[in-house]
Amino acid sequence: MGRTSKDKRDVYYRLAKENGWRARSAFKLLQLDEEFHLFQGVTRAVDLCAAPGSWSQVLSQKIGGQGSGHVVAVDLQAMAPLPGVLQIQGDITQVRLSTAKEIIQHFEGCPADLVVCDGAPDVTGLHDVDEYMQAQLLLAALNIATHVLKPGGCFVAKIFRGRDVTLIYSQLRVFFSNVLCAKPRSSRNSSIEAFAVCQGYDPPEGFLPDLTKPLLDHSYDFNQLDGPTRIIVPFVTCGDLSSYDSDRSYPLDLEDGSEYKYTPPTQPPISPPYQEACTLKKKGRLAKELRPQDCPISTVDTLSQPLAAPQRHTLLAPEVRKPVAQGPLCPFSEPTVEDSEMNCSP
Amino acid sequence: MDAPEDYVWPRATSELILLPVTGLECVGDRLLAGEGPDVLVYSLDFGGHLRMMKRVQNLLGHYLIHGFRVRPEPNGDVDSEAMVAVFGSKGLRIVKVSWGPGRFRELWRSGLWNMSDWIWDARWLEGNVALALGHNSVVLYDPVVGCMLQEVPCTDRCTLSSACLIGDTWKELTIVAGAVSNQLLVWYPAAALIDNKPVAPDRRVSGHVGVIFSMSYLESKGLLATASEDRSVRIWKVGDLRVPGGRVQNIGHCFGHSARVWQVKLLENYLISAGEDCVCLVWSHEGEILQAFRGHQGRGIRAIAAHERQAWVVTGGDDSGIRLWHLVGRGYPGSGVSALCFKSRSRPGTLKAVTLAGSWRLLAVTDTGALYLYDLEVKCWEQLLEDKRFQSYCLLEAAPGPEGFGLCAMANGEGRVKVVPINTPTAAVDLTLFRGKVHSLSWALRGYEELLLLASGPGGVVACLEITAAPTGKAIFVKERCRYLLPPSKQRWHTCSAFLPPGDFLVCGDRRGSVLLFPSRPALLKDLGVGGKAGAVTGALGAGSGSGGGETALTEWGPVSTLPSLHGKQGVTSVTCHGGYVYTTGRDGAYYQLFVRGGQLQPVLRQKSCRGMNWVAGLRMVADGSMVILGFHANEFVVWSPRSHEKLHIVNCGGGHRSWAFSDTEAAMAFAYLKDGDVMLYRALGGCTRPHVILRESLHGREITCVKRVGTITLGPEYEVPSFMQPDHLEPGSEGPGLTDIVITCSEDTTVCVLALPTATGSAHALTAVCNHISSVRALAVWGIGTPGGPQDPRPGLTAHVVSAGGRAEMHCFSIMVTPDPSTPSRLACHVMHLSSHRLDEYWDRQRNRHRMVKVDPETRYMSLAVCELDRPGLGPLVAAACSDGAVRLFLLQDSGRRLQLLAETFHHKRCVLKVHSFTHEAPNQRRRLFLCSAATDGSLAFWDLTTVLDHGSGALEPPADPGLPYRLGTPCLTVQAHSCGVNSLHTLPTREGHLVASGSEDGSLHVFVLAMEAPELEEAMGGDLVPQLHVLEEYSVPCAHAAHVTGLKILSPSLMVSASIDQRLTFWRLGHGEPTFMNSTVYHVPDVADMDCWPVSPEFGHRCALGGQGLEVYNWYD
Ligand SMILES: C[S@@+](CC[C@H](N)C(=O)[O-])C[C@H]1O[C@@H](n2cnc3c(N)ncnc32)[C@H](O)[C@@H]1O
Repeated sequence: MGRTSKDKRDVYYRLAKENGWRARSAFKLLQLDEEFHLFQGVTRAVDLCAAPGSWSQVLSQKIGGQGSGHVVAVDLQAMAPLPGVLQIQGDITQVRLSTAKEIIQHFEGCPADLVVCDGAPDVTGLHDVDEYMQAQLLLAALNIATHVLKPGGCFVAKIFRGRDVTLIYSQLRVFFSNVLCAKPRSSRNSSIEAFAVCQGYDPPEGFLPDLTKPLLDHSYDFNQLDGPTRIIVPFVTCGDLSSYDSDRSYPLDLEDGSEYKYTPPTQPPISPPYQEACTLKKKGRLAKELRPQDCPISTVDTLSQPLAAPQRHTLLAPEVRKPVAQGPLCPFSEPTVEDSEMNCSP
Repeated sequence: MDAPEDYVWPRATSELILLPVTGLECVGDRLLAGEGPDVLVYSLDFGGHLRMMKRVQNLLGHYLIHGFRVRPEPNGDVDSEAMVAVFGSKGLRIVKVSWGPGRFRELWRSGLWNMSDWIWDARWLEGNVALALGHNSVVLYDPVVGCMLQEVPCTDRCTLSSACLIGDTWKELTIVAGAVSNQLLVWYPAAALIDNKPVAPDRRVSGHVGVIFSMSYLESKGLLATASEDRSVRIWKVGDLRVPGGRVQNIGHCFGHSARVWQVKLLENYLISAGEDCVCLVWSHEGEILQAFRGHQGRGIRAIAAHERQAWVVTGGDDSGIRLWHLVGRGYPGSGVSALCFKSRSRPGTLKAVTLAGSWRLLAVTDTGALYLYDLEVKCWEQLLEDKRFQSYCLLEAAPGPEGFGLCAMANGEGRVKVVPINTPTAAVDLTLFRGKVHSLSWALRGYEELLLLASGPGGVVACLEITAAPTGKAIFVKERCRYLLPPSKQRWHTCSAFLPPGDFLVCGDRRGSVLLFPSRPALLKDLGVGGKAGAVTGALGAGSGSGGGETALTEWGPVSTLPSLHGKQGVTSVTCHGGYVYTTGRDGAYYQLFVRGGQLQPVLRQKSCRGMNWVAGLRMVADGSMVILGFHANEFVVWSPRSHEKLHIVNCGGGHRSWAFSDTEAAMAFAYLKDGDVMLYRALGGCTRPHVILRESLHGREITCVKRVGTITLGPEYEVPSFMQPDHLEPGSEGPGLTDIVITCSEDTTVCVLALPTATGSAHALTAVCNHISSVRALAVWGIGTPGGPQDPRPGLTAHVVSAGGRAEMHCFSIMVTPDPSTPSRLACHVMHLSSHRLDEYWDRQRNRHRMVKVDPETRYMSLAVCELDRPGLGPLVAAACSDGAVRLFLLQDSGRRLQLLAETFHHKRCVLKVHSFTHEAPNQRRRLFLCSAATDGSLAFWDLTTVLDHGSGALEPPADPGLPYRLGTPCLTVQAHSCGVNSLHTLPTREGHLVASGSEDGSLHVFVLAMEAPELEEAMGGDLVPQLHVLEEYSVPCAHAAHVTGLKILSPSLMVSASIDQRLTFWRLGHGEPTFMNSTVYHVPDVADMDCWPVSPEFGHRCALGGQGLEVYNWYD
């Protein structure tokens, strides 16, 4: 597999590189905007979980007409600077009031028109944990939004459509007059990600934003676990049908006639947490078990368990088992004691 | 209005779950394992049996179990009764259990308590439970009444990724919290004296550069261990953590895992860690790795437990397997490598070759032609003989059999072979067989009755010598029985041989990679009159005397059957006959299963060895009925168990090119090799059996992508289908004839699995796993379901053909046969035979003028398959494949699956095609017609009339654009825009009006419509080229049917439909009264469900439904 294989498998990855976006997710925001006109009239936007920064790139280019827009980007990771984008490095689930204040300050005291959050945890593969972590990021983003968003403003956040996604819908509906679930065509069919598009920020009467406490997720009550009253918000597919299909593999020479040329990634990947482990491994310096590695000697229970059938194939062509002859045919198989004693040399 | 009860019927109930094992705990001599919301209880009777005792269902409702906390008894005795806190996500429940020999009982259970936030840890504080919650707060909970007594948050309310509670009273309670910032926060909830005010952290500890997933505290030594995303484990000296302000010192930073570390546990003398790399490591507290346990498959080990008294470690995997390992600490009793100190002044010469005669006698020859014996028991060298004629070149091979039969053979460069009785070397027999070099020697043993030695000489001639012993035991007789001739090749010699039971044939492998079948007594065959045939074969191979310098006038017999180059250019390394099959291994990194039918060798299945083992050297059957593979992995000799995926032995011997020998008995195994002029010997007691125990076999290592039910086998009571449920849990009457459903699954782990699911016991048995694919397997199709003996045969059994397809545009066809086998736990055995395979890129490479064509993308994935059985006799079924490159491709399977050909394709959809589904239309006075429906990521469905396509002369199949290319399918006969985005499920049912078609989509919607067919009457059709007209009659859409992709859909009857989605709901829909209406839904536990199959079982039993995703779950309902 060469370096072009990812280009073949993922057309948006390739297009992002060719168009100077830092990540393929830029297309998701662009397609969401195509459908919802998210950027219309927006001059102040907050990009939560922004690294490596392709959404910030889109925002800084698309909002506020002639470069009068302001973008604040928050992420755990540092990202390469972008013109017109203020960066705050920090954990959005741990925001103190100061962060919200800093955002407002940057907007010269005005609230934001748009808050977006494309945050995703590093998935562990355990679905319940991953879904929970994703929900916490969304709720943290919502918590920030309640501080910085203007009434009527818009909030867009990534969701995982898993078992309890309807709980998130019911929670978002408390704060927004219109909540939809949207999936841009650049997001794959095989992925459970989608975006909650919440328009018309309208907190319940008497609601006091409180950044000292986390927003906790709802639990099932009227939004039933298995009944017909589950809150499933309308689903909208964004991006027009003629756009590229993210699940399809494309030949390198696309149909528009353009000739393929390999483009290196726009942004080198951020140093991952496992970098040291990788370096050690490359140098062969990961700890190894003591050798000779082998089996401790002990008696074993052989066990027959459900889901334990050893792969045993029997008799398609019958094997005839002859009784083991113990006759005089092979006297050499049993050396006598004297023999081995005799053979012993000093 | 309909009666309300219509809306609650049918009700699906869960029958069986196979999910990642996410919690493990030892309680007395029992092991509790959390699988989804269920607890599995295993009895760990020391010395007795290890077995599954019980499944306690649905303990945590729709939560998954992440941990157990056993309430410590005041007297420290938990030998027969315990209170256990079971927790996972936001749920907590207490159960009181008691046990004794052969029984385990649940005495009481509390309510299921829901917390406001995620539970990272729980700890018993006298009668209450302290819980560490998701946003860094601690709750004191009364688990009996179910009320919160106190809640104290930390001032730093970040989200946590793990937590560890320490202390036995609220006053001394200490929490170590793992924050998203990778820091450890230590704080004391009891410090909140007033109003449960937030408490500031006492200490913040940094070190890890990734999130912390697990922590363990060892009070007796004042140690804390942490496991992280950064792939390391850290050991901290913390002293008594309950004392504020203490010093925290990082004393160990352990890198040993090659992926994220999920779990860590400190024991009195060890540290156990396990992670995403599926390895469980045992460390000393000083950070040295003492043992490594490998064997789990897939995404890692999720849970660990230890039984310190028994020195056991138990691991639970994402593959839903549970394994028990023995802790031995440092040193390995009874095994290791030792040098046998050959070099000495009394033994001149350099060692050339080594062999093992049984497991305790080793033989070696030197370049002086001397043969030495080393007795491993007596530990000394002894010269047996010296023969100068063997000094420049000498092959050495000991006879097989547990103690090597007491014989060995030597061969030299001048065609001479010497057979030596080890105990009486003076009785050695010499023969000159050839004029040139003897290239190879091998033995073949039949029971204890017949012993042959095969020697390859020049020109591909193999001399077959018969060895017998004089009754006195002091002399042997060596007689040349016959000669064989190998097919021509550059390196024309044989490499291995074995008798094919009952003994009329010999199976040999050669250096060219071919497997050959020879009659073991060709002359006898001729005498019996069959010889004419054999002679003809010989003639055909151009054999005769003198072709290779044979001195005798013996005929050279050619093989009666050959599988040319089965193992490729590097050669065959071994042949073994067992259980009616022949197994061969080769230096192509694979082993083959073959059988002989009608005197012909037939390949059954090719299996890959473990990764990196490109040189498979041999194969052994071990006592428990499984096999082990021997081979070389770079510089190491490895004994690998395909059943447990474990490397049982690893010897760093420098590779397979030097002389080496292997032998094993039940008591011990030995591996000898030459290194630096000496013999090195590795010995291990216990032979090739694994000391570790598989408490539960794993299913798939990664996500299941497709499930298909094949059929049902009814086993009479004589088979006594066992059950792990206690008898009182079985419903009366369910002991009757055992109905077992056979289901096949395929997975991203590149395997296809055949499962047996008995209806009565709620258990699952993996019958066999087929691993032919190089990439993930995404789709299956089954056809030609029958019984092994044909329709007349009343014996139980099942046969079927299966096509599997997936990544890298790869497709395989194989047949399965399931037959009763009383010796297995399921009472069934499954035989698999590989029939054919197809890869698109290879197909393109074969086309002659391929330079003129756009080459197909080798990254193309097959997303779904459908089989269309044709009614024309002799014409095998069509297989339709949905392809990620935007094509729907039609393949023709012929010769009962042995030929798989690309027939036609269409790029109509222009987008990734997600689903294909086939159905037939039958109506009186009309021709039976085959239809195919395909659906893509844009939400559109297309219908294709395959009958027209296959009609010769019809215009539906356009000739290829280029010769050699497949035909092109014309335009579909109908398209329907059903959804706004990808279609993930599709099903049809014939009805009176036509066909009911239902589809489910990524957008959570369902689309149902009636497809009417106006087909021409039979007589009309004869004349013209009339094709049926398709119309959509009634069309309904249910927009928010599910909150995620609808990946499973079945129309059960014209009035009932069931759907399944990634939102983990199984929902019933009423059809036939206008819009489909919601009836009821059930929450299931398998995340990411990719496929569902439903089938009626019996009138009493109703329906069964299997859901496959990140695990497998089986539901049933009564009709
Ligand atoms: C999918 S990426 C966002 C990509 C970005 N929208 C773009 O277009 O370039 C998710 C980001 O979420 C960030 N993230 C995850 N958890 C976070 C947290 N608790 N606080 C801040 N950022 C977080 C990660 O660092 C990561 O960069």
